[in-house]
Amino acid sequence: MKSSPDRITHALEATSRAGVLDALSPRRHTLPLPEINRLAARLRELPDERQPLKIAIVRTYTTELLSPYWTFESLLRGFELTLYQAPYGALLQELQQGAGLLEFVPEVTFLFVRWEDLHPKLAGQVTALPDRSVVQAEALDYLINMLAAFREKLPGLLVLALLPRMSLPELGIYDAMAEDSEAAFFTDLKRGIAQRLRNELPSVYFNDLDELAADLGRAQLFDLRLWYTARSPFSVAGAQAVVARLMSYPVLLKCPQVKCIVLDADNTLWGGIIGEDGVEDIKLGPDYPGSAYLAFQRRLLALQGRGLLLALCSKNNEADVLEVLRKHPHQVLREEHFAAMRVNWEPKPENLRAIAEELNIGMDSLLFVDDNEFECEAARRQCPGVMVVQAPETALDLPECLDGIPQLEVLQLTNEDRRRAALYTGRRKEQQLKATAASLDDYLESLEMVMHVGLDDRRHAARIAQLTQKTNQFNLTTRRYTEADIIRFFDDRDWLVAHFRLADIFGDHGLVGMALLRLQGETAEVDTLLMSCRVIGRGAESAFLAHLLGVLAQRGIRSVRGYYYPTAKNEMVKGFWLEHGFSVVDETTFELKPVTVPEARFIRVETEEAVPGIAGVPRLL
Amino acid sequence: MDNFTKLRDIIALTFGVPAEQITQTTAQSDVPAWDSVGHLNLMLALEDAFGLALDIEDMARLTSVPAILEYLVAA
Repeated sequence: MKSSPDRITHALEATSRAGVLDALSPRRHTLPLPEINRLAARLRELPDERQPLKIAIVRTYTTELLSPYWTFESLLRGFELTLYQAPYGALLQELQQGAGLLEFVPEVTFLFVRWEDLHPKLAGQVTALPDRSVVQAEALDYLINMLAAFREKLPGLLVLALLPRMSLPELGIYDAMAEDSEAAFFTDLKRGIAQRLRNELPSVYFNDLDELAADLGRAQLFDLRLWYTARSPFSVAGAQAVVARLMSYPVLLKCPQVKCIVLDADNTLWGGIIGEDGVEDIKLGPDYPGSAYLAFQRRLLALQGRGLLLALCSKNNEADVLEVLRKHPHQVLREEHFAAMRVNWEPKPENLRAIAEELNIGMDSLLFVDDNEFECEAARRQCPGVMVVQAPETALDLPECLDGIPQLEVLQLTNEDRRRAALYTGRRKEQQLKATAASLDDYLESLEMVMHVGLDDRRHAARIAQLTQKTNQFNLTTRRYTEADIIRFFDDRDWLVAHFRLADIFGDHGLVGMALLRLQGETAEVDTLLMSCRVIGRGAESAFLAHLLGVLAQRGIRSVRGYYYPTAKNEMVKGFWLEHGFSVVDETTFELKPVTVPEARFIRVETEEAVPGIAGVPRLL
Repeated sequence: MDNFTKLRDIIALTFGVPAEQITQTTAQSDVPAWDSVGHLNLMLALEDAFGLALDIEDMARLTSVPAILEYLVAA
């Protein structure tokens, strides 16, 4: 592995932001503060474009010492940062008219608070509390009410970061055994926070800095000199780790997300070269270095559990690789785990393009992992947008090589995410059927598709928001909305949020399309209409539109306006409105008047009952 | 690199000022960005750059170039 001074020298000499990132990865090493400032200065000089970013900090302790790390991490992730730090200790005061925070209009707000801010009794001896559960409930209520107030007044992402406890448990080594364990007390509270946020404030995120404390250790995370003299808890190592961790939120908000990890095989999934060593002699199993490859494969499987797809891209004879996937006793990733496979002797950039095309995703949704420097360089040069990670030379470093990459993080996990990999495997089979069906109509007929359309259904706010953020191709207006935005549309009587789920003989594809409609008198506007790329090409969009037009006609709507805003990726829906009987108003506006309802083909459409939401009963059709 | 040159670069880097602005006699009051928070960042940067472990009393005392240079000689 590169030694630390070496990494910094390479980073300072890099000629692009990606080069700096490469030189510093894997990013689990603490950088000295002067080097952070030097790297920030270097990143500023590089020609890469940066997008503006506004972060606000609300805090009950000194956070000014984090500034150099915010600056550095922002530049490293391609942002030009404007940072607002609310006055020390000001929480709800910052929500009053004219307060700095509201005027600032942040994109991401971090709340840095301590447990003792939530309840005065948490400042004292926690184990001595006679009314433990009462204190817990009161602290929780106080926190949730405060977060609800922030959510109501503030746009953007809201992230709660509680300062880990700075000292050993009051009861020392007995704490783990104690009935009134301090560790258990705070674990219970954290579970309570997560549960109530999920149910009541789904667009407020809780980041558990205790995880970081476990990773670094208390002694590394904190600097007690700074705490006792300046109320600033974090050490140089701690501060950069905290900021790097929290920077995931702006990255997930503003940068393309990785949807698929494309993996090389030899010396990436196993040690050795299958074509030369043979299935018996590749290194994969309980002994080092095979144990490290095994651990890496398990990590990849865990990433798939977050909703990411895996694909294989290897220069080999396909039969050799398939033999490992099918027969090697220690192979974790089998054929069914890969959404796409390109095992051949073609150049890898071509294979990467083919994989993106097969999965219907953009090149900037791919992360490519390969041990070979030549292949990595080829991908960087010929496939702009693809994120490239060169697998470390030492197998020991391999299992962690994808840790800390913000684009691989998720902020929520929907049922669709959990099932995605299986769905893509189903799709591979579907493509085989497509090849055997005599005509496209026969094929669509044979799928026995059923669509469920629902309106203003609060259960699906997270998934609907996620679709607006992630869908690039079949998206007519490419407007991005947060979960909080979607919830506001649910509650607004002038707006209608529709979604559909689609199932066929291969399985349930889940919630894969949505539309946002604005009703004004006898006119309706289609603010957003989009569909996940995994159900493109089977007429679902027409069936969905037909159903929506039916709903609108029933409500007395006489004309419907649709829009097409071209982007680099949504060329495929250019003709959507004309194909569906709309006429041109101007370059981006189309109109249907009077509203005629076409008949859906190949798809049985059913309406889905919404459940009453928190804010009351959903509107009737 | 001698101690002064190295120190000058660290101060300049920490406060984002040109190195020429820092002289053998520069003190905290001469550099606007060298406020109480800036001072702590400078102390942390010195620790990393010179391999020091400062105690709280040293941090409070090292508020000028001559004071820091004297400390570095003694250390």
